[in-house]
Amino acid sequence: MSLRGFVLAVALLLSALLLGAFVIACVLFARQGGFEPYRIPRGDRVVAADAATLARGEYLARIGDCAACHTTRGGAPFAGGRAFATGIGTVYSSNITPDPEHGIGDWSADEFAHVMRNGVSRRGPLYPVFPYAHFAEVDDADLDAIFAYLRAQPASATLPPPNRLDPPADSRRALIAWRMLHYDRPDPAARIDPRDRGRYLVEGLGHCAMCHSARGERGSLAPAGHFAGGVIPGIGWYAPPLDHVQLERYSETELADYLRNGTSVHGDAYGPMAEVVYASLRALTADDALAMARYLKRVEPSPLRAPPGVVSGNDAGSRGAAVYARACAECHGDDGEGKPGAYPPLRASVSATAPEPLNAVRMVLYGGMPPTTGGNPRPHSMPPFVQRLDAGDIAAVVNHMRRRWGGRESNLTAQDIEAMHGIVVD
Amino acid sequence: MRTLAALASFCLLALAPPVRAADDVGERLAACAACHGAHGEGVEGAEYVPHLAGKPAGYLFEQLAGFRDGLRVNAPMTWLVQFADDAWLREIAAHYAALPPRAHASDRGREQLTPDRRDRAERLVREGDPARALPACSACHGADLAGLEPGIPATVGLPADYVVAQFGHWRNGSRRAREPDCMREVARLLTPEEIRAVATWLSQQPNAQAARPAPAGDFTPPLACGALMEAPR
Repeated sequence: MSLRGFVLAVALLLSALLLGAFVIACVLFARQGGFEPYRIPRGDRVVAADAATLARGEYLARIGDCAACHTTRGGAPFAGGRAFATGIGTVYSSNITPDPEHGIGDWSADEFAHVMRNGVSRRGPLYPVFPYAHFAEVDDADLDAIFAYLRAQPASATLPPPNRLDPPADSRRALIAWRMLHYDRPDPAARIDPRDRGRYLVEGLGHCAMCHSARGERGSLAPAGHFAGGVIPGIGWYAPPLDHVQLERYSETELADYLRNGTSVHGDAYGPMAEVVYASLRALTADDALAMARYLKRVEPSPLRAPPGVVSGNDAGSRGAAVYARACAECHGDDGEGKPGAYPPLRASVSATAPEPLNAVRMVLYGGMPPTTGGNPRPHSMPPFVQRLDAGDIAAVVNHMRRRWGGRESNLTAQDIEAMHGIVVD
Repeated sequence: MRTLAALASFCLLALAPPVRAADDVGERLAACAACHGAHGEGVEGAEYVPHLAGKPAGYLFEQLAGFRDGLRVNAPMTWLVQFADDAWLREIAAHYAALPPRAHASDRGREQLTPDRRDRAERLVREGDPARALPACSACHGADLAGLEPGIPATVGLPADYVVAQFGHWRNGSRRAREPDCMREVARLLTPEEIRAVATWLSQQPNAQAARPAPAGDFTPPLACGALMEAPR
């Protein structure tokens, strides 16, 4: 081949590669919604703010758990500033009070609906800690009611701290790349029918999948990992899968009651789920709770879900068994059966069966108290053991408990326990 | 006739509200007992942790709510009470308030105070320092340092390390209370050396009579104090 021919061939190949890359980029850009998400509708559409709409908006905002993320401990409600630790740094929630400068006081109803569904505000694309892929399923009337409710709250002129992110994630442009790689904009024509109530609440406002799914690269939520369970980023708790296998031990009514009460004969809500129940789910109507429970119990297991453990028997005589008998059996029973109405069973509990030992270790270290709810106004608490058992005893008892009642080999050492010391409260 | 009376009393018993077992609340509070003792009396060896028994219910409630709402900073406490509503926290507070106050002191002579420091500490507790407009501890916490309903706690016999730590919190803003926050002002007036001496002296005083807080209005503290005011509703 002549030199000229070679140069021509290379040029042709490069052009083809560039063209191919351009086509792929176009397809990915179209998949995340094209240019539409970046065209922020301003307008001046206002929404009705009658008492019935405000009450409905309050209920929906509660089920969406807006206040939990958009309020700091002791801070003005909805004024933002709560920190979210992610793999790329810390993101602070925004002020969604009606303050015109720092909040959403000069937003129209159309702008609000656009941000909720597309995750792009007038300041640019939002980090996907904001569950816009789920809020895209919320129907127009419900979004309007939430907006009316938020606009009726006291304004707070609070400016949340700036995000602290590592490059390149600190650039909003990088977010467009993230969206192209990991975000498939839901088809607005295929929104969940609000009359399909359980699915509508679980997959939409409830955004349960934000914690209960397996995350992929760069914190993405790929469809294959939907409800597969996983470690919640930043706070060191494991959220179990949500499907009919995981929830088999719950009847529909038991599950509905668990969502509202934070307690059940199968276990109590602790850690981040206690917050979800306290801040959100305890407000559910009985009908909505039952609809969510029915839907959850029909979910097919994800292919990425950890297979259940196989219980192979007791390890009587082990150090862990001795610690259990001394420190745990009085409340949780010799056979991990618990005491209904007071102490949850450990047999088949999430702490025992989860592929990760995180929850069990955190509970033993620091104890906990389930949320106060209408159905459980005076909860029984779990004592912390960090000051009573040494790290070796804690490792042994968690290994024992999980092997015996969850079929999981945890192989925790004292060093593992020490590495897990620390309470995350913000 | 006797049968009728028995029947009548049986009916009365059946109508009466069910009596709660005395330990009903306590058995729900195993998490608290781990550090504060089964009866709120404190735990030997856990000297950073205050005893709770017999302190005013209003004071205990404000502290629990403060941990929940971020006015006080202590991760293990916030962890436990963060999803508890006011009604449950009030019940927990009332439970510990009703228990008999602890009679013995925290520090039974481990840390020696020189006579000079002891005199200085006792003078600050009993008289304050008028030159600095520093009120005496006893002017608000009572001559027996057993507190004042509804919001001023006993300080008698508290662990010295706990008291020193609280002054640190007041000074750096990680322990706050409803305004006017009088302890913040007091903490600013004391030197670290004085705080250590007063805390050590307090930790060595028994509450021999197991005195309860004085009833509300029994005496009038010299400082305006948010802890004695009605909580805004």
